[in-house]
Amino acid sequence: MSQGDVITVSSTDRRILRFPPSLKTQEAIAAYIFLAPFLIFFAIFVVRAVVAAVQMSFYDWQILRPARPYVGIDNYIELFNDDVWWIALRNTISFTIMTVIGTTIVALSAALAVTQPIRGQGFFRVLLYMPTLFSVGAVGLIWVWLLNSQFGMVNYVLSFLGVRPINWLGDPALVLPALSLTTIWWGFGFPMLIFIAGLQGIPEHLYEAARIDGANGWQIFWRITLPLLRPTLLFVTVTGVIAHFQVYGQPFIMTSGGPGRSSYTVIFYLYQIAWTAFRMGYGAAVAVALAVIMAVMTMIQFLFISRRIEY
Amino acid sequence: MDIRNSSLYRHFPAYAFLFLLALFVLFPLMVAISQSFMTNQEVNRWPPKVIPTEPTLDNIHTVLTQQDLRLDLWLRNSLIAATGYTVAVLVICSPAAYAFARLRFPGNNALFAFLLVTIMIPSQVTLIPNYLLMRDLKWLDTFNALIFPGAANVFGVFLLRQFFIQIPSDLEEAAVLDGATYWGRFWHVVLPLSTNALTALAIFVFLGHYNDLFWPFIVTNSLETRTLPVGLTILNSSYAGQYRPMVLSGAVLSTIPILIVYIIFQRRIIRGVTLTGLAGR
Repeated sequence: MSQGDVITVSSTDRRILRFPPSLKTQEAIAAYIFLAPFLIFFAIFVVRAVVAAVQMSFYDWQILRPARPYVGIDNYIELFNDDVWWIALRNTISFTIMTVIGTTIVALSAALAVTQPIRGQGFFRVLLYMPTLFSVGAVGLIWVWLLNSQFGMVNYVLSFLGVRPINWLGDPALVLPALSLTTIWWGFGFPMLIFIAGLQGIPEHLYEAARIDGANGWQIFWRITLPLLRPTLLFVTVTGVIAHFQVYGQPFIMTSGGPGRSSYTVIFYLYQIAWTAFRMGYGAAVAVALAVIMAVMTMIQFLFISRRIEY
Repeated sequence: MDIRNSSLYRHFPAYAFLFLLALFVLFPLMVAISQSFMTNQEVNRWPPKVIPTEPTLDNIHTVLTQQDLRLDLWLRNSLIAATGYTVAVLVICSPAAYAFARLRFPGNNALFAFLLVTIMIPSQVTLIPNYLLMRDLKWLDTFNALIFPGAANVFGVFLLRQFFIQIPSDLEEAAVLDGATYWGRFWHVVLPLSTNALTALAIFVFLGHYNDLFWPFIVTNSLETRTLPVGLTILNSSYAGQYRPMVLSGAVLSTIPILIVYIIFQRRIIRGVTLTGLAGR
């Protein structure tokens, strides 16, 4: 029966004809056809891949060796005793904390400034978002030279403040802050836009009421803006944590993980294991461990963000 | 006192802060652009110069003509791969999102909840198995490897589903009375009303893919398929030691296409990024 037949029947019959079981089945078949392309790709490149990764992590799977013996949880035991993994994890955590805090402060300040009734709002928004559009390659190549210890512009600017040349990318204590600064420059535009949207969602009458009560700008910020911005703030920080935990390009391009292993990150290490040492089984174990860590962080995100705020 | 002065006065801290922030954003780019026109000797000098004494086009010429560097090819590859990927995501995800938003079928909610859970799995878990699959399919160093593995974009399905749900179903019911099929309702009613969401998703997905480094880096290894971000790492590792201004000019040149797109579509991009960003909430 074609859909066209429906309109030729009387209105009393229409309800019956529109919902006979066969139409329900038709709808389900249509739904599965609509879903099919997505589900096929999803099954191959996500479900199969995740299952395969977990499976591989129990094998000594090296790309150059045909024998791939089952080793149980040996890869995970090795990982637990692998100093480089712990160094990489620690570096990743400190990089993430610095970057998320820095990014959030810069982005929130920028959003607060841009949403004042000033001229050039659109211009500043467009300009400050711009670095986010660049690839990590371009950002890395530009900043690695700015941070150069001998001829870099950052040291030159600091020299006017009486600061002696700093070996940003060569000093184990400074390399992560330097990469973090680069990343803040690159990425604060996106959270800024999210904060702007969040600020615009705060009802104007709350501000008016506060002003009538004689609150100053600082009080308004702490008592009204910040509490009402909490969902946005949590969204920005937790998605930031997840994004920056996957950092790889900046150390890859700017420091090769150095000096020593001071800027090894988890994904950088994963790359080394799987694509320079070709240890796919151990690499899979690293990836699974990373997934567990990040899943825990995402669950925390869901817990926080599901708490909504009432005006 | 006129209004303009008083506004500037009242909002002076905001202006001052934004001016400093603008300087923070622009200064690195200015330095890189300016040093692209300097000679090797001039760049390797203390104190560093901001303005080249004798501007030269040599660096730009070299970076564009060097045998092992093909910025033109890399740009083309990036555009092909990112466009192909964006089209694949839209084609694959929008019908699926429509099914989740509008059609009743057994398992709708369970399947959707399952997809929600998989968002928690970071994509790095799939890297090694998908890389091996690319190798087995002989897809390494082809555009297929850059386009298809990420095409089932769960976030895209979420975003579009959320948008489709908001479209009043009366419009579709009218189409049903006119004899529209499920495909007709999707194609002629829902999609034309969703251009904003589709554009936003397309922008988001395109930019993300255009700038991606890890996956293109491991699945491509020839001039014919390498993308711009991968090319920049080669430029860096081969020339940064001796030819710094040339490397900087390559980095600067690589940003020009995306800046042109940004200047033309700035409003749409800003709005699209905000929309997709907020949808993730």
